[in-house]
Amino acid sequence: MEQAVHLDGITKRFPGVVANDDVDLAVEKGTVHALLGENGAGKTTLMNVLYGLYRPTEGRVVVHGEERHFDSPRDAIDEGVGMIHQHFMLVDPMTVAENITLGNEPRKWLGLTVDRTTARQQVVELAERYGFDIDPDARIEDVGVGVQQRVEILKALYRGADVLILDEPTAVLTPQEVEDLFRVLEELTEQGKTIIFITHKLGEAMTAADEITVLREGKNVGTVPADDITREELAEMMVGREVLLDVDRSPTEPGRTVLDVEDLVVEDDRGVRAVDGLSLDVRQGEVLGIAGVDGNGQSELIEAITGLRTPDEGRIEVDDVDRTTDSRRSRIEAGMAYVPEDRQERGLVMEYDLVENGLLGSQHAEEYASNGRIDWERTRGHAEEIIEEYDVRPPDADAEAESLSGGNQQKFVVGREFARDPRLVVASHPTRGVDVGSMEFIHDRLNGLREDGRAVLLVSSNLDEVQSLSDRLAVIYEGEFVDIVDPDAVTEEQLGLLMAGQEPDEVPSIAAAGEVGP
Amino acid sequence: MTDDGLVDSLRSASGRLLIAGVAVLALLVLGVAGLVAPDSTAGRLFFVLASKSTLAATLRLSVPIVFAALGGIFAEKSGVINIGLEGLLIISAFSAIYGADVTGSLWAGFFVGILSSTLLAALFAVVCIEFRADQIIAGLAVWLIALGLAPFASSVFYGGPNTTNVGTLDTITIEGLASIPFFGAFFDASPAVHLMLIAVLVSWYVLNRTTFGRWVRAAGENPKALDTAGVDVSRVRYAAVLLSGVLSGMGGAALAFNIGQFTGNGPTMVNGKGFIAIVAYLFGNYNPVGALLSTALFAGLDATQLRLQTADVIAVPDSLVQTIPFVAVILVLALVGRTRLPEAAGDHYESGEE
Amino acid sequence: MSGDDPSTDGDSPPDPGDGERATESDGDASASDSRWDAARRRLVRLGQTSVGERVLIALSALVLSMAVGTVIVLVAGVLATCRDPALTIGGSTLCYDPFFVFDRLFLGALGDPFAGGWSPLNNQFAATLRETTILVFTGLSVALAFRAGIFNIGTQGQLVVGALASALAVLWTASLVSGTLALVTLIPVGLLAGALGGGFYGAIPGALKAYADANEVITTIMLNFVATLVTRYLVRNHFADPTSQATQTRTLPDAGQFPAILFDPRTDFSILALLLALAFVGGVYYLLEHTSFGYDLRTAGIQPAAAEYGGVNAPRTVLSSLTLSGALAGVGGALFVMMTLGKFQTGIPSYGFDGITVSILAGNNPIGAVFAAFLFGVLKSGSNVVSFATNVPPQLVGVLRGLIILFVAMPEFFRLIGRRLAAGDPESGTAVTAGGGADD
Repeated sequence: MEQAVHLDGITKRFPGVVANDDVDLAVEKGTVHALLGENGAGKTTLMNVLYGLYRPTEGRVVVHGEERHFDSPRDAIDEGVGMIHQHFMLVDPMTVAENITLGNEPRKWLGLTVDRTTARQQVVELAERYGFDIDPDARIEDVGVGVQQRVEILKALYRGADVLILDEPTAVLTPQEVEDLFRVLEELTEQGKTIIFITHKLGEAMTAADEITVLREGKNVGTVPADDITREELAEMMVGREVLLDVDRSPTEPGRTVLDVEDLVVEDDRGVRAVDGLSLDVRQGEVLGIAGVDGNGQSELIEAITGLRTPDEGRIEVDDVDRTTDSRRSRIEAGMAYVPEDRQERGLVMEYDLVENGLLGSQHAEEYASNGRIDWERTRGHAEEIIEEYDVRPPDADAEAESLSGGNQQKFVVGREFARDPRLVVASHPTRGVDVGSMEFIHDRLNGLREDGRAVLLVSSNLDEVQSLSDRLAVIYEGEFVDIVDPDAVTEEQLGLLMAGQEPDEVPSIAAAGEVGP
Repeated sequence: MTDDGLVDSLRSASGRLLIAGVAVLALLVLGVAGLVAPDSTAGRLFFVLASKSTLAATLRLSVPIVFAALGGIFAEKSGVINIGLEGLLIISAFSAIYGADVTGSLWAGFFVGILSSTLLAALFAVVCIEFRADQIIAGLAVWLIALGLAPFASSVFYGGPNTTNVGTLDTITIEGLASIPFFGAFFDASPAVHLMLIAVLVSWYVLNRTTFGRWVRAAGENPKALDTAGVDVSRVRYAAVLLSGVLSGMGGAALAFNIGQFTGNGPTMVNGKGFIAIVAYLFGNYNPVGALLSTALFAGLDATQLRLQTADVIAVPDSLVQTIPFVAVILVLALVGRTRLPEAAGDHYESGEE
Repeated sequence: MSGDDPSTDGDSPPDPGDGERATESDGDASASDSRWDAARRRLVRLGQTSVGERVLIALSALVLSMAVGTVIVLVAGVLATCRDPALTIGGSTLCYDPFFVFDRLFLGALGDPFAGGWSPLNNQFAATLRETTILVFTGLSVALAFRAGIFNIGTQGQLVVGALASALAVLWTASLVSGTLALVTLIPVGLLAGALGGGFYGAIPGALKAYADANEVITTIMLNFVATLVTRYLVRNHFADPTSQATQTRTLPDAGQFPAILFDPRTDFSILALLLALAFVGGVYYLLEHTSFGYDLRTAGIQPAAAEYGGVNAPRTVLSSLTLSGALAGVGGALFVMMTLGKFQTGIPSYGFDGITVSILAGNNPIGAVFAAFLFGVLKSGSNVVSFATNVPPQLVGVLRGLIILFVAMPEFFRLIGRRLAAGDPESGTAVTAGGGADD
């Protein structure tokens, strides 16, 4: 068969990093090819090279049998290579049709004015040809993520793309939307288009792809047909060793309730009820996990509990004290530790060194600042303890946070928060972007806090993580809990249905906290 | 989820509606008072407000602000916050007078004013787009440079911060229509007023109906989307910032020819109009017509205070009355509060790797 | 759209732009609520670059503005008409000699140190230090707000209000006390009144920003106009000096004016005021670097979302830093009244706008502000020497002020030149812009 894309010995170096190391990739025309690997394996970099965003340090890019030198995405688009990024490149206040034709608008009147009728017509025809159900006049900011993704695909097709690169296309989709997407991909390949999609999810690669190429640490580990490989084999190719995600969890006897949330309603930035009348409680010595597709109100829920967002209705109690309207600071002082979702925006001040970052949240604590005067000596000692205990590298308290790798940044944030001697730990994606070793360490620590009698509220999009760490597992969908289940008894399929908002038969649900018990 | 846009616009609209409502209500109260008791203070105030000369003054005072606001809309919609509008007005006001003085033609002076403002805008554009300077600081620099340069040049050529008088633009009067009460002011006005009204309509059309306008909006909302669509973001932004120079140049020149002279003491004759323009387009939600209406509010207050001083309706010291437009701007900002500015405004954009 | 998703974002190499993208994401309310946040952060970051680089950029900006200033003086010299040309180049005559202008500007301001018989106590140097003293306060005022991520363009208005408050407070107190009591109370009362007046006037845009989300750049500029008009009204209609034509208050008693020590009393400079200014520099430095409040303020300025996470009350920090910033400007105004003028008079020089330049030149660092203020003191007092010795319009200094800000605002320009000079290493060039590429 004809090769649509051939990357030949691509090496891409950044200052201090080799992102791609002599990678070969051959993709046949009319197929779906999955590029599989862990975060940081170099998948996106490789595709940015193909798309003309990066120039390779070494190696050749061959498209449809001819070597190409793309200096910009424009060059790539001209040769029929289109890319759909994780962060959609759409103009929110403009309509679907306007976005699809942007830069290639049909014109009238000396070429100055947009011919809006023709533009709309072209979009309608294009959507029909590929069987997309789409309203050309809807504004991007008013349509859902799945539709936005289809607009991105149509945009590439409008520009004449026949090789489509999709970067983590399923990250923001519900399982149903994922199915829809895969159907769309099938339709496209049937019409002769070639698809490369980047993913770190094994199951998706096996479901949707014809062939799978696994990247690890910037190297191509191998290309295999999706039909004759097992999950275990793929997993081993990805991580380079057998994955052990099970945490050694000893049973604990949950104590009294620490966090009690009643009928909470929280609006998001746009005034939509992101959390819609939700109740939960977390007791001493237990981990309550929250699973769900990103964007179902998790962030707003956590922000309301930790004091970063004001709830519109409901009550939040910590140790029987009503803290619904308390400031963030008084919640910290009440013993609430919080590992935030976004370490680079919230958890760390990127331009502060680790000494100053170690103080974040404790700058008014008597221990480090008496009478408003900061004891820098003691603060430095505190930072050095975190660095040592959590093996933060480089072990230099004077290093600026932004100079650390993502994993080390995360370890420092986790270390700082766990060191607060908290009553309640709220951890949002605590192991996002950290390596496997650190992940195990952080899991051990979380479990240690639990065994130590602290209350832990854990949110993670990593199902293995929430399942293995939690005593109870709540599934959130559109701002409400669909159910609270026993993480040891629930299957992945059942979880998938719950995350899509459906109640499957025979779920081992745990209605009230009192009935739990491993 | 589909209601988001609506909810959003309602929220941002509430402040605007409040202000517009208060203004209309005040006018109604004054109108009733004027009819019931024409000799009361309120009544006399109403007749001052409803006079043709107040509208004429409002239009005249609006010209520089509206032009600067239109320029500001283009620049900010493209992602470059141009806080140096004040400086562009100052430099063009002086250059227009100087050009008219040297060539002996007001329209040639008009052109010189536009040219100098565009050159200063070009400097600002290079500094912001090419050298990725902070837009706010660079904008302040543009203002301060003009604030120094115009009186400096005036002193070089005319021996002091004030220039000679070169005369004013002849008003265009349409007999008959000009005598219509109140609205007659439109038909008995400086050509600058008509130019302003045309500029508002053309700006609206360019922004909303042309490819260029679409690119400008995309460059400010999501430059990467525009870039990957094959349009050079920097060029769009350059064009938009230069356009803000051209428009502000018209405004500055019109301001100068309104009096026929440039006065350069203290904050110069521009006296904050460039900053008021910023609030005007924010309040007008980046819509040229909205900017015109909100400018009319500020300029109307200014015109009223000027008329009050001469008409002797209320005995308030002029220093205090002069604060009215500035205080109004602050109140408007406080009530409108958050505005939805273009997503990428203020950010630099570098395409690709090179 | 919701915020970035780092779990799926981690695939890109650890490029320097990654952090930036995260901080500029629109995921949270505080990051998206105010205009110009990104710009602000980049600005605050100006203060974070290394001291060496800062000084180098400041000096380069200075040199470059002088160069452009030279061109302006030359061109103006060609265009202007005058009876006795100052310079002849080729066949054409120029009215102004730029070298002489800069000679007067700098050496003149110092009292001609190379002319022999120079004493640091000379009158022109005293004038330079007098200007420096006020500029330290306006520079500190702007810098403190900048560090909190706030553009205080209203230092001018706060200084004017502080100046009037100080004059009125001293005049009123002087009517109650006399003798030694006056000597020990008047100056502290004047300083306190200046701080309160300026602080109050800074609190207005602070509250508007904190609780009504009104952009402070515009409100502070508007309040400058209001301050000028309202003080003019007050002085003209309620506190005028009946013996004078000018719009001014009565002259303060001697006990209410800073005493001239070491320097000639006619220079209106008091070394005590300069020492007071330096004490305030130390105080602001200590506040920023060694107190919890300073930590809150800096964190709010550098990364508002992280500050909020760390328990910083953003509105309160905005309000208190603008109030403090205004108070510093107000003390500057008090010194202008109690040292320079001896009364309040309308038409106060633009110390506030110079303060912006001082702060930006100093990278918003309080200690750097001393040096930048001295430089601007030289420019301000030198401009008097220039207008005395030449016929070049003194507004030249205003042009230089704008140019310096412009050049300091574009460090990228100097880095580019630096790279060109370093040359021969194309790789380093791409490396730097590769980071910039992800900047967005």
